[in-house]
Amino acid sequence: MKLKIQTIRDDHRIAWLTALAITIHIAEAALPSPLPGVKPGLANVVTLLCLLLYGWRIAAWVTVLRVVVGSLLLGSFLTPTFVLSLAGAAASVLVLGLAKQTGGSLLGPIGYSLLAALAHMAAQFFTAYTFFIPHEGLFHLLPILMTVAVVFGVVSGLITKQVLDRLEKMT
Amino acid sequence: MKRGDYLVLALALALLPVLYFHFWNLGGRGEQVIIRSPNSSPQSYPLQQNRRIEVQGAKGPSIIEIHEGQVRFIDSPCQNKQCVLSGWLHSDGQIAACLPNGISIQVQGRDARYDTFNF
Repeated sequence: MKLKIQTIRDDHRIAWLTALAITIHIAEAALPSPLPGVKPGLANVVTLLCLLLYGWRIAAWVTVLRVVVGSLLLGSFLTPTFVLSLAGAAASVLVLGLAKQTGGSLLGPIGYSLLAALAHMAAQFFTAYTFFIPHEGLFHLLPILMTVAVVFGVVSGLITKQVLDRLEKMT
Repeated sequence: MKRGDYLVLALALALLPVLYFHFWNLGGRGEQVIIRSPNSSPQSYPLQQNRRIEVQGAKGPSIIEIHEGQVRFIDSPCQNKQCVLSGWLHSDGQIAACLPNGISIQVQGRDARYDTFNF
């Protein structure tokens, strides 16, 4: 018996954008990082673009799928890395949803990106502190990690803005 | 850049120095040391007074020295001497321990940084 699933336009969109996000994620995984697990997070640009162009629901789907499939492809599924990744992604997506609801008209890509980056890093840190390294000394890393989050949050926001500007020029 | 962007950026940049000051303890000198040993209650000594203390542990006596606001292990009956290798402690929250002997020294500043210490 053949089973055919009816796909709608959103499904195709999510699939396309997730594929794009996964590609960026894996390419970025090849870059070395000074601190373990601290990456520029360029795949989040896709999340932001989804949020600003297609809405929160699609952004959430793309992000979660990217984290899960990305971890399957990189071989880190269900490892502590995956847990941290998922925690950060979930937190940033939730914060983005909240931000859109409460102050959507006041925020541009850089504001959203900063909020998402801060939420992402904070959630990852506290997940790591709670489940993996419950040591007070870990807090010495927090200021550095949050600084990195601010820097890369702004960078991702600027990239997102550039992409949006170019998309607008094309249409 | 919209108005909300500037607000978020300002808040983020204001948050950073707060984090550094709070977690890097910029300016937390130690005032006293708490010495914990297996068979007695924690003993507290001020760091201003130079002295040498012999503490009985599970394997024998550990010798701890307080000198000019710093404290260190001088000797312990353990094999690796990690406690001695920890060197001088002087800041609030710094800890050294001799695990085989069950003895730990913890520096405390004016306000207690940690509520308890366990190993």
